[in-house]
Amino acid sequence: MAKLYVDSDKYGDQANSPTVEAFHSAIKDLVRRRLDESGVDWNSFVFDKSYDLITAADFAEIEKKLLDAGHRYDFSAVISVNERPEAYKPAEGILGDDPDWTMEHPDAPSGDADAEGRALCGVGDNVMRVAESTVGTARYVRSSSQVMRYLTDGVPPETIAIIDDSGGTLTAPILEQFAGIICMGGTVRSHLGILSREYGIPCFMNAKITGIREGQRVEMETAAAAKTAEAYQKGEEMTANIWKLAQEAS
Amino acid sequence: MVGAPRLSYAQLLETNNLLQTFTDETYWLCVTRTVQESKLFPVPPYMLLSYLNAFYRYPSLLRKVESVMTAEEIGDRAREGRPPGKSAMGWGMPGFYLLGREWLINMGLLRPQDAAEDVVYLMDFWKRLQLSWHRNDGHITNKEFGHRCQILPERRLQVFESDAYGCEAGDPLHGAATQFMASAAQYGFLVSCESRISLLNTGPYKLADGNEMIVREFMDLGEGDFPWLDDVAADISYNNLTVPMLVRDCHFYLVDDWGSFESEPEFRAENIVGVGLYTSDPLTDGHVPVGMESRETLTETFHSLDGLFKEATARLWKRIAGWSRDQMLDAGALTYFGICKDLAHVAGVYAQEDWMLIDERAERFRPLLNDEFSRDCLGELVGLLTLPSHRLSSYSMMQHGNGPTRMYTPIPYAILDGEDYVPTCGPVYPGSTTLSAKADRYRTSQGVLSLEEYNRRVRNFAPQSDRYRFLDETWLKYNHDTARADEMYRHEQERARNIQGRGASLGTAELAAIPRD
Repeated sequence: MAKLYVDSDKYGDQANSPTVEAFHSAIKDLVRRRLDESGVDWNSFVFDKSYDLITAADFAEIEKKLLDAGHRYDFSAVISVNERPEAYKPAEGILGDDPDWTMEHPDAPSGDADAEGRALCGVGDNVMRVAESTVGTARYVRSSSQVMRYLTDGVPPETIAIIDDSGGTLTAPILEQFAGIICMGGTVRSHLGILSREYGIPCFMNAKITGIREGQRVEMETAAAAKTAEAYQKGEEMTANIWKLAQEAS
Repeated sequence: MVGAPRLSYAQLLETNNLLQTFTDETYWLCVTRTVQESKLFPVPPYMLLSYLNAFYRYPSLLRKVESVMTAEEIGDRAREGRPPGKSAMGWGMPGFYLLGREWLINMGLLRPQDAAEDVVYLMDFWKRLQLSWHRNDGHITNKEFGHRCQILPERRLQVFESDAYGCEAGDPLHGAATQFMASAAQYGFLVSCESRISLLNTGPYKLADGNEMIVREFMDLGEGDFPWLDDVAADISYNNLTVPMLVRDCHFYLVDDWGSFESEPEFRAENIVGVGLYTSDPLTDGHVPVGMESRETLTETFHSLDGLFKEATARLWKRIAGWSRDQMLDAGALTYFGICKDLAHVAGVYAQEDWMLIDERAERFRPLLNDEFSRDCLGELVGLLTLPSHRLSSYSMMQHGNGPTRMYTPIPYAILDGEDYVPTCGPVYPGSTTLSAKADRYRTSQGVLSLEEYNRRVRNFAPQSDRYRFLDETWLKYNHDTARADEMYRHEQERARNIQGRGASLGTAELAAIPRD
C-alpha cells in the first residue's frame, strides 16, 4: 500500500479526539487506496488528480461508517440536530416546553433557604458590577423557535434569560428586553458578555446552576465584583451567587 | 517541483520566521481571548470550511489583486482610512490560510512542502500589507508592539480629537452614542454570523489631558458583498462607520490582532467623555463626518442609526432563522473567508464569484462537517495542538504553552537540497453556494452602485491624499513649517469643524484648548 509522507512522523501519532482520529485515519486510508488504484504519483495527485479521486461521496461514506457503528454526534447548533436527528444525540429541553426540565451543572453549589427565603442554586462570572442585586423570573432561551415566539409576543417583563450559548446571535433581536442573563458558557469576554455590557444588562457568564425551573423567581448577585481578565489568566475563581427565591417559586 | 528550486534560502528563512511568529500569537489569541460558540450557527463547521476555501483560493485572488495594486499600496490606503483596516490584515488572512494547510497535512492530503510558493507569496503579501498599514507604529502586528495599534497619523488624530463632542453619562449624546454602539455591535455579530469580523478597535492614542482615544470601526453594514443583506439592509445608508471614542480614567493596555481591547480599570460606558462619527470606503478620501454639524444633529443621528440597526437586526435574524444548515454553513464560511475581500475592493477588482462562493475543492469536505467532529478538530487545531503535525521533539517548549508543540508547520528547507515539491495549488476552481443570488446593488459613499460601476469608479479614483504617500511622520517632524506639510494638513482639515485651515503647526496645547461643544 502507498506510504504517505505523514506516515513517517517521529513525534506525532494520532489526534486526541476519537472522532477526529476516526475521520483522519479513514481519510489517510482512502488516500493510500486511491494512490494505489490510480497509479498516479504524488505530484500529479496532490493538486490535480486528487480533486477527482477524493470526493464528497467518499467523505460521506466515512461519516456514515461512524454512524453505522452506533456513534451519535454531540450537537452545538440546534439546526444540526433538527435536520439530522438520527445522527445526533437527543437535544433535551431545547424547546422549553417541559416546565419541570432544569439545566444541571455537576459543579453547581446549592444550599438551604436562608432567613430571607433565598436558596443558593448557582454561581457565575459577573460581567459588570451594578449597585444592587437583580431579581426576576427565570426563562430558558435555547432555540430560535423560542426567540421567534418572544419576538412575536414580546419578552415578559423581568425575564432573566438562562442561555447555554455564549454567542450574540441566537437572542439578537430580543436581547435588549432581558432584565438579566445567566449564561452557561463562555467568559465575560464572549460575544454575549460584550453585548450585555454594551447594553448595560446584568449578566453572569460561565454559570453553574441547579434546580431552576421555568418561571422560577431568582436573584443574581450583580453587586458582586466583575470578574477581571487577570482572574481568568491566573485561573482564580471570582464568582457571584444565584439564589432561588423560595417564597415566590412558581 | 523537480529541478532547480525557484525559492531561495532567504525566502524560506523569512517565511518560516513569519509562520513561527504567527504560531505564537495565534495560540495566545485562541487560548486567552474568547470562545466563539452559537446555538444558532454551526460555528466550528463553518470555520473549517472557510479554512479550506482560504487555502485553495487566497493565493490566486491575492495575485489578482496585485496585478492592479501592490499590497503595500493597499496598506497605505488602509492607513488613510479607505477602507477601514480589518482585523483581516492583522490575523485573519494568513491565519485562515495556514489553518487550512495544517488540517490538510493532518488528513494526509498535503505534504509540508506542497504549495510552498503559495505559502511564501501569501506570507510576503501579508508582511508588505501589514508593514505599510502599520507604518506609523513600525510593527507588523499589534502583538509585536506589545498589543498596541497606533496606525493613524497625527493630522487625522487631531481632526478626530478636535471634532469630538464632549459628553457625560446621563446626557442625551452619551446615551445615544452608547446605545448606538451596542446595537451596531449586535448587528455586526449577526451580519458576520457570530464572528467579530465586522468590528474592529484600534489605538489607543494618548490625549493631552491624560485621557485615551480608541477608534471603533463597524463594517459591512449596508447592502454590499453579503447576499444575506440584500433588502434587509436597504435602509442602512453607510457601509462602514467609525466612532472615535475619547475615554477617561482607564488605560487600554491591550488592543489585540483580533481588534478587541482590555483596559485597567475595566472600561465602562461612563468612561466615555467624547465621541464623533465618520464613514469611509474605497471611494472616500479619508474619513467623512456623519451628523457632525452640531451636538443635537449627532445625537439624533446616533438615535436614528440605532433604530435602523435594530430593525435590520430583526429582519436579518428572521431571514437567518429560516435558513437550512447548509446555508448557515455557507454564510459563516464566506464571512470568514471574505475577511480580506476588501483588498479586492480597494484595487477595484472585486468579483462576487471570487469571494462569495465555496470552491469545489473545499466543498468536497462538507459531509465531514458535523458539529462534533468540527468542534473537536477545531479545538485540536487552534487550542490543544494535539494533531500529529503539531508535535515536536520533547526538548521543545512552545511560547506561552511550554509544550513540545507548534501550530503551523514550516516549509522544509530540504526542498533546497533537491526534495521535490509542488509549487502551487493552482487557479481558482468553480464554486457554488446554497445562498440566494446577490442582487447587483452595492452601498457606497457615492450611492448604490452596480458592481461593475463600483469597480470602475474605484479604479479611476485618485484621492488627493495619495500625493502625500511618502510624507511620513518623521518627515513631518522636521518639515512641519514647509508649504507642503501645511498643504497636507489643510487638506486633512477641510472637513474638520474646529481646526479647518489651521495647517501643520497646530500643537497639543492649542488642540486641548478647543472646547468640545
